Amino acid sequence: MLRLAWANLLHRKVRTALSILAVAIAITLLLILVGLSHGTLNDVSNRMQSVEAEIIVRDTNFDLGTLSGGKLWEKEINRFQEIKIDDEIAVRRVMPVFLGRMKLAGQSQNVFGVRPDDFPFFAGSRKLVAGKIFEDVESPHVILEKQEKQNTLDDTTLPVMSIIIDRKLAAAADMNVGDATHYGDLPAQIVGIVETGVAGRVFAPINMLRAANGIAAATCHMFFVKANPNFNTDQLQTLCENIKQTTKRDATLVANYGQIIKANFKTLIIFVNLVSVIALVISFLFILVTVYTSVLERSKEMAILQSLGAGRKLILSQTIHESLLICSTGSLLGIVFTFAARYLIETARPLMTVEIRLSWLLGAIAVGIVGGILSALYPAYVAWNHDPVEALSFE
Amino acid sequence: MNDMSETLIQTENLCKTFRSGKLETPVLFDINLHIRRGEFVAVMGPSGCGKSTLMHILGLMLSASSGRILLDGADAATLNETDRAKLRREKIGFVFQRFNLLPTVSAYQNIALAERIRRHRPDSRIQDVLDAVQMADRAHYKPGQLSIGQQQRIAIARAIVHKPAIVMADEPTGNLDSANAQNILDLFRKIHETGGMTIILITHSQMAAQAADRIIHLNDGRIEHG
Repeated sequence: MLRLAWANLLHRKVRTALSILAVAIAITLLLILVGLSHGTLNDVSNRMQSVEAEIIVRDTNFDLGTLSGGKLWEKEINRFQEIKIDDEIAVRRVMPVFLGRMKLAGQSQNVFGVRPDDFPFFAGSRKLVAGKIFEDVESPHVILEKQEKQNTLDDTTLPVMSIIIDRKLAAAADMNVGDATHYGDLPAQIVGIVETGVAGRVFAPINMLRAANGIAAATCHMFFVKANPNFNTDQLQTLCENIKQTTKRDATLVANYGQIIKANFKTLIIFVNLVSVIALVISFLFILVTVYTSVLERSKEMAILQSLGAGRKLILSQTIHESLLICSTGSLLGIVFTFAARYLIETARPLMTVEIRLSWLLGAIAVGIVGGILSALYPAYVAWNHDPVEALSFE
Repeated sequence: MNDMSETLIQTENLCKTFRSGKLETPVLFDINLHIRRGEFVAVMGPSGCGKSTLMHILGLMLSASSGRILLDGADAATLNETDRAKLRREKIGFVFQRFNLLPTVSAYQNIALAERIRRHRPDSRIQDVLDAVQMADRAHYKPGQLSIGQQQRIAIARAIVHKPAIVMADEPTGNLDSANAQNILDLFRKIHETGGMTIILITHSQMAAQAADRIIHLNDGRIEHG
């Protein structure tokens, strides 16, 4: 019967090809949208894991997507020193991070403003492959006052903000140590290139970054807390709870950072899923129409099969076979398209990460198969109810 | 040899009325038939007299409105859809006026598909039956590449490949020129004589009906004599 289903599909080559293409495009759209959104978020999350710290502290109102909401004060760091778990000093180091955004390689990049002596903790095991660690000014006021007096990009008396970028960004932006750029009104220069995989693609000295954002106060967006290295997971969890109570801030284990990001980008993920579902529904409606038309056209063929002794179940399975062949072929083609699209995206936009998981590919095939069956239900119902004698009576 | 005295098909007061909404169209009235195993019977009558309807009812493609049909001992009224399909699959072979071959597959595949539906493995019987209808050299042609006479030979091969008890042919020569029609009728006679199958030939043609051993005349849905 599968052979007959194939023969029928091949008999209407253009229609079959269009149907397969519709499914393939929908599956590609589904996999790319999901892969791109999850890939980007997971990439950020994975890079965060490289920081030599165990806990991230943020204001409860802080929004990572827009960098808006509540901020932290650097002076709060003192409170952390007092925390003890099991009579041991719990916190070894608190590293403030001021976040900014700048455009490099044609894309908006998060800039991690950190203290120069904290940078090695952010780099973790990743090494500087070129240049050196930046220096910072004592206070943002130094720059802000100068900016107030001489507000021009060409002013050589303005301090230059030194930045470190990761190797992937350096390649994408075609930049090397010593190359100039700017952050807002402030001139900037690349002083170092670090291996890919560090928390931020761009690092800047915290005070300069504050000043570049017009902030004079010693505020920041996050604290990375390095805990006592002897602590186990339970103690880290206890420390997390303790920080929440002591500081009235939101504290999360770095290991759970992915969940925070996903929570922050929940709307985006819902949107992506919605678009994917709509694309799938449209493509499966297309299949429904194709199989339905095919059933209407082939009522005589079904009557012939019945005259040969085929039961209604066989007629039903014939209809479902055709739909399944279209959808499974379309799904497989969609997977091929997905890999091609990923190659094109990552070639054109090297900083984008399209994640493809085996479970998603298997899921896409499952979606294709389920969609194929669902799309065949109504045509199969029509096939089930057709009158073979009437069909045989007419040309 | 088959026992010619054994009744293979029997109908008792068989009636058929088509209903469409409130409209009722009676087609067959009190049909009482006895067809013996191994008989070659022609059901003859003018267009619209109910011949094809009778064949579809006897072939279990259509249900009677009233009356009884016994097919090889099985009462059609007691059979569900699956049993009817099984009986059709195993004991009946249909030949139609318009051949009704599947256009998308080859002549061989048309026969092989019928065998698969009958849950038989396509085997040497297909080649044998193609030899019998003298179509072995055209086995891999698609129906559209065959002449109408050749298409009808393939349709006959498909109907007899499983050696059914009954072959029902609905105007099998209706679309053929006289030379091809005679060839097909000769083929039916040969099949009947060599295979011993019961053949029911539905026709409006006196010439075609002459090929049968017995002619049942049907007029306005009633058997006149036969």
